[in-house]
Amino acid sequence: MDGLSLFASRRSRNLTLALIVGVAAYPLVVRSELWLTVLLFVGATAIGAVGLNLLTGFTGQVSLGHAFFLGLGAYTACYLGNPTGGAPAGRGLPLFVWLPLAALLPGLVGLVVGPAALRLKGNYLAVVSLGLVFLGAHVFKQWSSVTGGSDGTSVAPSLALGPVDFAGIGGLTRNQSLFFLVWGMVGLTTLGSRNLVRTRPGRAMQAVRDREVAAEVIGVSVARYKLGAFAISSGLAGLSGALYAVVLTYVEPGTWSLALSIQFVAMIIVGGIGTTTGGVLGALFVGGLPEVVRHYSASIPFVARTASERGLSLPQLNQILFGLCIVGFLVLEPRGIAALWARAAHRSGEHRVQARPHPL
Amino acid sequence: MRPLPRAGLASGLVVTALLAAACGSATSKAPAGTLRSAPGFDPVAGTIKVGIISPLTGPVQAVGKPLTAGNEVYFNKVNAKGGIGGRYKIVFEERDSAYVAQQAVQAYNELKTNVVLFGQVLGTASTKALLTGLKADGLVASPASLDADWVREPNLLPIGGPYQIQAINALTWYVTDGGGAGRKICTLAQDDAYGQAGLQGVDFAARKDGFSVTSAKTFAATKGADGAAAIRGLKDAGCQAVFLVSTPSDTGTLLGLAATADFTPQWIGQSPSYSSSLAASPLGDYLSKYFMVASEGTEWGDTSVPGMKDMLADIAQIKPDQQPDLYFIFGYDQARAVVQVLEKAVALGDLSHAGIMAAMEQVGTLTFGGLTGDYPYGKAADRVFPRETTLFKVDPAKPVGLAVVKKGFATDQARQFDIR
Repeated sequence: MDGLSLFASRRSRNLTLALIVGVAAYPLVVRSELWLTVLLFVGATAIGAVGLNLLTGFTGQVSLGHAFFLGLGAYTACYLGNPTGGAPAGRGLPLFVWLPLAALLPGLVGLVVGPAALRLKGNYLAVVSLGLVFLGAHVFKQWSSVTGGSDGTSVAPSLALGPVDFAGIGGLTRNQSLFFLVWGMVGLTTLGSRNLVRTRPGRAMQAVRDREVAAEVIGVSVARYKLGAFAISSGLAGLSGALYAVVLTYVEPGTWSLALSIQFVAMIIVGGIGTTTGGVLGALFVGGLPEVVRHYSASIPFVARTASERGLSLPQLNQILFGLCIVGFLVLEPRGIAALWARAAHRSGEHRVQARPHPL
Repeated sequence: MRPLPRAGLASGLVVTALLAAACGSATSKAPAGTLRSAPGFDPVAGTIKVGIISPLTGPVQAVGKPLTAGNEVYFNKVNAKGGIGGRYKIVFEERDSAYVAQQAVQAYNELKTNVVLFGQVLGTASTKALLTGLKADGLVASPASLDADWVREPNLLPIGGPYQIQAINALTWYVTDGGGAGRKICTLAQDDAYGQAGLQGVDFAARKDGFSVTSAKTFAATKGADGAAAIRGLKDAGCQAVFLVSTPSDTGTLLGLAATADFTPQWIGQSPSYSSSLAASPLGDYLSKYFMVASEGTEWGDTSVPGMKDMLADIAQIKPDQQPDLYFIFGYDQARAVVQVLEKAVALGDLSHAGIMAAMEQVGTLTFGGLTGDYPYGKAADRVFPRETTLFKVDPAKPVGLAVVKKGFATDQARQFDIR
């Protein structure tokens, strides 16, 4: 089995480095506020998708409770980071306190509810984790001293880390500055996830996914790794929710809905289940496609551009495209965009690999 | 054959692509005209760009589409007469929010450096999500929702009486002249900030009028079909009147559920709960018996009101196929407010974002020819929002399916309601 090293090949390492340079240069070079905003949302969701991929893609546990942990992270950030004078009042704590805690707290909650949920397998786990979303929706609505209740709450925590203020670094705009924070976290998350899956715990998680009994026989503690994956996935969801809330600047309990959980499942399906980069690629696809389509809609026939025009609306077109893509990936390339990427990278690389046998 | 250094090539491509994208944004030169150019204002081309962020698709498009059409008709009428100040044409940039705050934020960021102001932002959640940006960027937006919160925000240009006022006037009328004294009054509201605004008005009316709310139920916005339990709960509580805070598609589902459950209280809906398509639907019968709407202005086609007369003339000239619609009127009024502010800004000689803020403070009273209450502006703290409400009942024979029950009244209770 390959994938023990951080990079598959030198070529893959160089590509990754080029990508990092590209991402870091992006907000300085491309000053389009639209694309910055789109990529900020993509980055924030990508972290959650990478987390879900650890749980679903690498450990084989299907969860629909992701939205709950996103909400938990967002409200942790609001409660700890928001200014003390607001309504609802926050604690005014600095970035280095609220951001880690926005991941830690949901992780801990994951650890607590995990044992109950993980006694179940497959579809049953999906149904139980679904319950978390509804339970969360109720709590988020009622606990108005923290969440603002149905009225929602603005999200304005301090974004300063020492001398660097991610609300505006130097002469940069808020979105440009936030870009470094959000995509920095995406980078750390992806690196951490890659390191996790290529080392011992990752191998154990994959053994659990592939066959629990066999894993137990070779000495893997199934319960421990399932729980660990659940906690890490919940923590990353929390981090994702906190950053999403910071980008959006206002959240309400309705934000953390079942539809959001399902969107995350769609992201990892399209991006590539059981791949490290799949979460990021999936978030990029799900978040970016509608904007790309809209941007070039002038050259697409049958699309209505104003309220008075008749024709296919853009979201309708997007839904059709999105549906086709999900079906397309499930049928033609179950390992998603990440597999396409890997194939392209390998095709003329130093390590020629055999084409993967068709799953039949 | 030696393989090409592809990694280097790839990084080179990334950089080239970034540079190419960066060159896409061009800046315009300063003109030699009387007014200085500003973001969204091109004195040479003679255009003023106005952003519109509205749900043009999805469950709330029944509100967004006619409302935006109302914006368009008024702006086009002004353009046909030569434009703002007689020479600057209004160009509107429409973006779809699908009633989702994230999409509204993306649209806002796309347009913010490219428009003079936002002529419409629809949705309480979307408006709240944009407020941080509006304040940071010093931009003005006109919300197409009637939350009382908007009145004291210097960056917002609200029109019309707030939802709270609609609820207070309607319920006060109900328990005094409407035969509702001593009846069991309940609420059914969507579970978000818009729902909260209506309920705040109900609570205020309950305190002032001395009634108590027998049962308060909520449902998730745009998911009215999940409201079956709420309807059953209201029926079991014996509610005789229900104040409804919803949008039209939810109203259809919820009242459909009520009709099949034989639940027949007096429904009183917040203005966005109704759309003309409901009167024409199979529910029309049930609605005409049990449903009222708290809104403003007059019946469609009532030419005794000068604003209505002008509006009908504009429609006949600019968009003859426009169907009668409450939201169209709102959009038309909203554009009218925007144009009054833009005229002031041109008169003051400054169409920059700061200039628009200044114009809003100095514009005086915004007038609407009786379609909605006149609105004295000034600094945000000094704005005096209208307190009149018109109660309508459903009558499928009428143009929007609405007939006036009581026109343009303000109760003492509504006069007592203030914000901050």
